[in-house]
Amino acid sequence: MHASSTARETDRKAPQRHAYPWRWTLFFVAALTTIAFFFIPAFIIRPFSHQAPRALLLAMALRQRAPLNTLIAALACFFFAFALWRTAGRWRKTFIAFTLLLVTFSAVMARLNYFEWMFHPIAGAEFLAQSESKLDPKEMILAVRFGSEARAYPISQMAYHHVLNDEVAGVPIAVTY
Amino acid sequence: MWTRTVNGRALNFYLAGINNQNFLMRDKETGTWWQQITGKAIYGPLQGAALELVLSDELTFGEWRTESPSGQVLAPVAKYTKEYDSNWEPDVAKLPVVISFPNTELKSRDVVIGLAIDGSARAYPWETFVKQSPVLDRVNGTPLLIVLGPDGKSFRAFVARIEGHDAEFFLQSAPQPWSMLDTLTNSQWNFQGCATSGPAQGKCLARVPALKDYWFDWRNYHPDTTVYKH
Repeated sequence: MHASSTARETDRKAPQRHAYPWRWTLFFVAALTTIAFFFIPAFIIRPFSHQAPRALLLAMALRQRAPLNTLIAALACFFFAFALWRTAGRWRKTFIAFTLLLVTFSAVMARLNYFEWMFHPIAGAEFLAQSESKLDPKEMILAVRFGSEARAYPISQMAYHHVLNDEVAGVPIAVTY
Repeated sequence: MWTRTVNGRALNFYLAGINNQNFLMRDKETGTWWQQITGKAIYGPLQGAALELVLSDELTFGEWRTESPSGQVLAPVAKYTKEYDSNWEPDVAKLPVVISFPNTELKSRDVVIGLAIDGSARAYPWETFVKQSPVLDRVNGTPLLIVLGPDGKSFRAFVARIEGHDAEFFLQSAPQPWSMLDTLTNSQWNFQGCATSGPAQGKCLARVPALKDYWFDWRNYHPDTTVYKH
């Protein structure tokens, strides 16, 4: 009688860290993968920093694959988190929860273009006849002409939007500044 | 400015990053990464492709509308008007420069007019250009005319040849409207590079794409560029 109740007490103790080493390892690998696929390109391609050619290549390669890879890695991370949750103590649960938050953030941001939050694109470009425009005559514009169709894009606007997909006299052009 | 058609398909570009002051863009159709200043695809399915340059001008609105009275202007988008900075030139000049070329003759934020003829690039310091306009030069054997417009801010570059013969151009000092005179045919030329009177009347000079840029940016993408000296 006494021996079996001792055995049950032992079972009820929380397992040590070295129990489930594989689950923890895979949890970390999945978490770091997700986080890296977002944060490494985001760090490399940040404004006002010089990008060496190889760093840029790495950033583009990661960013290209990020939407799919972060999804897979994030799902794996959640899977291992659930496998670890029940037997984790309070601090480890907090750590797991925080990591999952970071992982979710990375997986979501990997599919969002935050550059367009900084510089909104023009959704439906509209044009005015030059006589209707209120632009100051001294303001600089980018001008393009195809045959008889002439269009002007104020630099003050293009310096914000950066790129506009337009079509002039049937010719699709990208206006960039 | 570039055409958007590659392999017969019109691509739609979006902003995808800032690379040393120029930006990166991607196309929605293939996700390929393109460099804004070169129009080249640097990574992705269309890597190695190049967009075709569209000849464009940097003019004052006032100059442009006299040339194109029936032209259209991009309307400002109401909700972003507070982002539009009419004072962008001095404001951008204050931004940190992330790459510099200390052993070159110009300072990073010096403004230049950059052009390239058959792969040979040359930069014309803006201050020098404004003082000397019209500038006559020769790059890679091609005679060039780079000229400041009547508004003192617009500029254009042309091949200084009339019917295959090299020509020199000078500003006509006295009369209105603004015009140039060439020494070959004694014709008068307007800022669009077309002869308005004289033996060459009706002919236009070939345009050379030219970009107004900061020295550090031009030098970064044209490492072998020469600099114009008078």
